[in-house]
Amino acid sequence: MEKVALVGYKQTKHTFESPVARERIIYELVKSLYKDMGITKDDIDTFILASNDFTDGRTISEVFTVPRIGAYMKDETKVEADGLNAALYAYMRILSGLYNTALVIGFSMSGSEFRVPLTQAYTMDPAYERPRALINYYSAAALQAGAYMKKYRFTEEDLAALTVKNLENANNNPYSARKEPDASVDKVLGSKLLYTPIRQAHVSAYADGACAVVLSSKKMARKFTDKPVWIDGVGHLMDTYYIGDRDLLKMDSLAGAAKKAYKMAGIKNPRKEIDLAELHTNFASEEPVFTEAMGLFKPGSAKDVVKNGESRIGGSIPVNPSGGPLGANPVNATGLIRLAEASAQLRKEAGKNQIKGAKTAVVHAQDGPGAQSNTVFVIRR
Amino acid sequence: MKRNVAIISVGYNGRFVSKRPDVNIPELIQPAVTNALGKTRLKPEDIDAYVVGNMHTFEGVNQPHLWASEHFNGNMKPVMRIATGGTTGASVYQAAYYHVASGLYDVVMAIGWEKQDEGDSQVGLMGILLPEAFSLFHFGPDTSTDRGIAGLGGGGSTGGAAFQAMSYLAKANAGIEHIDRVAAMMRSNAAKNPYAHLQQPGCTEADIAKTPIISYPLRFGHTCPTSCGAIAMILVSEEKAKKFGLTDRIAWIKGLGSGTSDATTGNLIEGQITDPAEQQICKIVAKKVYSMAGIKDPKKDIQMAEVYSGFSHQDLMWPERLGLVEEGASPKMLDKGAFAIDGEIPINPSGGVTSTNAIGASAMVRVGEAALQVMGLAEGGHQVQRKIENVVAHGWGGLFQFVTVTVLGKTPVKS
Amino acid sequence: MAGEIVKTSVPITFMYKNRVGRSLETYINGLKGKKIVGAKCPRCKKVYVPPRTVCGKCHKLLDNIIELDQQGVLKSFTVAYVNIINGEIKDTQEPYVIGLIKLKGASSLLSAVIKASSPGAVKTGMKVRAVWKDTTRGDYNDLAYFEPV
Repeated sequence: MEKVALVGYKQTKHTFESPVARERIIYELVKSLYKDMGITKDDIDTFILASNDFTDGRTISEVFTVPRIGAYMKDETKVEADGLNAALYAYMRILSGLYNTALVIGFSMSGSEFRVPLTQAYTMDPAYERPRALINYYSAAALQAGAYMKKYRFTEEDLAALTVKNLENANNNPYSARKEPDASVDKVLGSKLLYTPIRQAHVSAYADGACAVVLSSKKMARKFTDKPVWIDGVGHLMDTYYIGDRDLLKMDSLAGAAKKAYKMAGIKNPRKEIDLAELHTNFASEEPVFTEAMGLFKPGSAKDVVKNGESRIGGSIPVNPSGGPLGANPVNATGLIRLAEASAQLRKEAGKNQIKGAKTAVVHAQDGPGAQSNTVFVIRR
Repeated sequence: MKRNVAIISVGYNGRFVSKRPDVNIPELIQPAVTNALGKTRLKPEDIDAYVVGNMHTFEGVNQPHLWASEHFNGNMKPVMRIATGGTTGASVYQAAYYHVASGLYDVVMAIGWEKQDEGDSQVGLMGILLPEAFSLFHFGPDTSTDRGIAGLGGGGSTGGAAFQAMSYLAKANAGIEHIDRVAAMMRSNAAKNPYAHLQQPGCTEADIAKTPIISYPLRFGHTCPTSCGAIAMILVSEEKAKKFGLTDRIAWIKGLGSGTSDATTGNLIEGQITDPAEQQICKIVAKKVYSMAGIKDPKKDIQMAEVYSGFSHQDLMWPERLGLVEEGASPKMLDKGAFAIDGEIPINPSGGVTSTNAIGASAMVRVGEAALQVMGLAEGGHQVQRKIENVVAHGWGGLFQFVTVTVLGKTPVKS
Repeated sequence: MAGEIVKTSVPITFMYKNRVGRSLETYINGLKGKKIVGAKCPRCKKVYVPPRTVCGKCHKLLDNIIELDQQGVLKSFTVAYVNIINGEIKDTQEPYVIGLIKLKGASSLLSAVIKASSPGAVKTGMKVRAVWKDTTRGDYNDLAYFEPV
């Protein structure tokens, strides 16, 4: 099979209120990415956006964004899900042999222009869940977290320590929106309770921002960079919509997607072969459940993982060394940022959060209430 | 190295209608999926992946495929959602093509739908323009890319289309009677398509001319209905087609592509308002697609077309922009009957979008109808009887700016 | 460049009338008669509550509607200190419990409000039963909440 490489990436400095409008953000991001790479829009064969008419607040929202990314009079399309799925589509387009290069961009103004819980509420079905108003993205995550903590004696203190680990990483990441230099277990435990066990401090930082990457076929990759990052495995699966029908701890769709990606990349033992993970967690409490479903840690081991610092930078498998979505969660871009951050690690461009000798990374994005749909990439340097 | 891909089945949920109060969104989709599977020997578990899409602001449910997963057998399957305005259905189908062409999957289902009786689509379309219009009125033109916003006339889609229609008529030296005539042809074609929404057997130019003007030269009779309905198609790789024993009655995807120009009702290029009837992007994409499909002269090598016309004048404009007839020749071709089902280059035997428009489905219906014509399976008397080798299917959307083109044929392109 | 950020506020108000669908209509009609109904898959025998139109596992249409026991076991719960109303997170007057309940005979979990003497008295694994409104009107609120047996 033809190979596909990530040959360029860039994200904005995410903020809770951007000083410029959405169209300007993506225009400047893409322009500067092209400049960094020494290319122009004419080097790009196909353009794939990730956005959503609900989060953009306008129908056919790409109407005004496609010219900004250089897609004028070019081939363009839009994936209405997280940006990692747009990268997956770009990957397919290049594998088909019809295109050599693709620009992928995900963006939103989820810090300042719309209420994320409202757009989430609109994904709940109008027939049952919406009128009953019991299950939403927050309460679904709370039910999952509650079940995990009860089953594996993972305490509120453990969850707070895990949250602090991510916030510390976010403090060292120049792109994150949320900076809490005084983050501590006590401070997390003192933050406002929303749905037990989820507190405000566990919630990801919905922000204004964007991320763009350039993918290329193998034959063109060296033309763009001497540090290509190879996409060696992909998997994506969707589970049933109904929370009450899913195994919230096993997370079949995530486990299945990871298994497919590992198989494609020839990974037999993820615990040994994966050097780091960048995960799309909307809540800190999702991290233990996701990492275990993906086979990165033993089921129910989160207490020890936190205690022994196994998911910290320097641990056996650092999880979200960038700080993850707890540092910045611009909806539609978040999963794509995971790809950019993991690529930065493999290219030794991760600054203060650099993991030594990282060669293989796993990247994840989710969609839907309680992470109904999951996409997983395995990338290598 | 390129992998050939074929469409082996096209299914509808039933006839497109204006209201389906008896079902919810997932229940509307489900019969189309069952219908597409039922025309093959495939079972739901044989489908490797799904690509789905609609225009979700029209129904007020964000990413409704999440809710509908059971209804299209999507549980524990790869599912990708695509949405690009009017071209949504074609963009979904193209993504399904790449799922197979990439080599990652062999059998993929594409689904497009709209259930417009639950929301207000004109309000949805106004939502494209309003935020920009407001900021324009209050703060002057957007200067972030040295381009302003101009030509924001009328509301919803019809206002902008009238500019285009005027320009087209002037270029082609045609009159409003030509739009009436082509509109009447589409409604009577629709009467031969059991799935079409507005079926008016024997509809005449005079019938259309009786309808009121909305925005000159467009009449009510030149606009599309708001329909409810769903379409599902199954795409397979060449190897699978052989394995399933399918050689006849399948449609090969020979070429495909999409393109975008600038937003606004008149394409604003380098500070100049260009002609909205120019549609340069359609010509660019068509040229690329024909080259991929090995088509040298579309006028000779393509025998019929399904074009996406939200307004009747476009049924004359698109055949020209797609290179099927000379620029400005459509009115004459129409008058001599060339566009009829039994004509030399039939346009929209299905009745087209002006007869049926379930938005997220419409651009896929063009591809589906093209496939059925290639297979020889179009029902109810709208099958073209002349020998068909190649068919072009076209999609259109955004603010007069997105275009998709596909060529389907009886024999695959040799790679 | 002025430092001030200028924004327009553009409310997009839509009114939708969404059909709840055949299966949920059966469920709502059941609630009116103080009954909880589910749908049983003819192939895998899974019982979904509320009823679904299709079994996601077997791809079978579900038209076998059965009445379920009104008692079950609490499988997981969360204490809600907030409500999300119109996208805004607002404090509740009193914290309340949202639980996932496995009704006797059901395969899927039903989400519902749990009322006990206090939120602290709610435990995973406890037996709960349905409590109805005195007069039912044929909507989801007819099934008021579940309480410990």
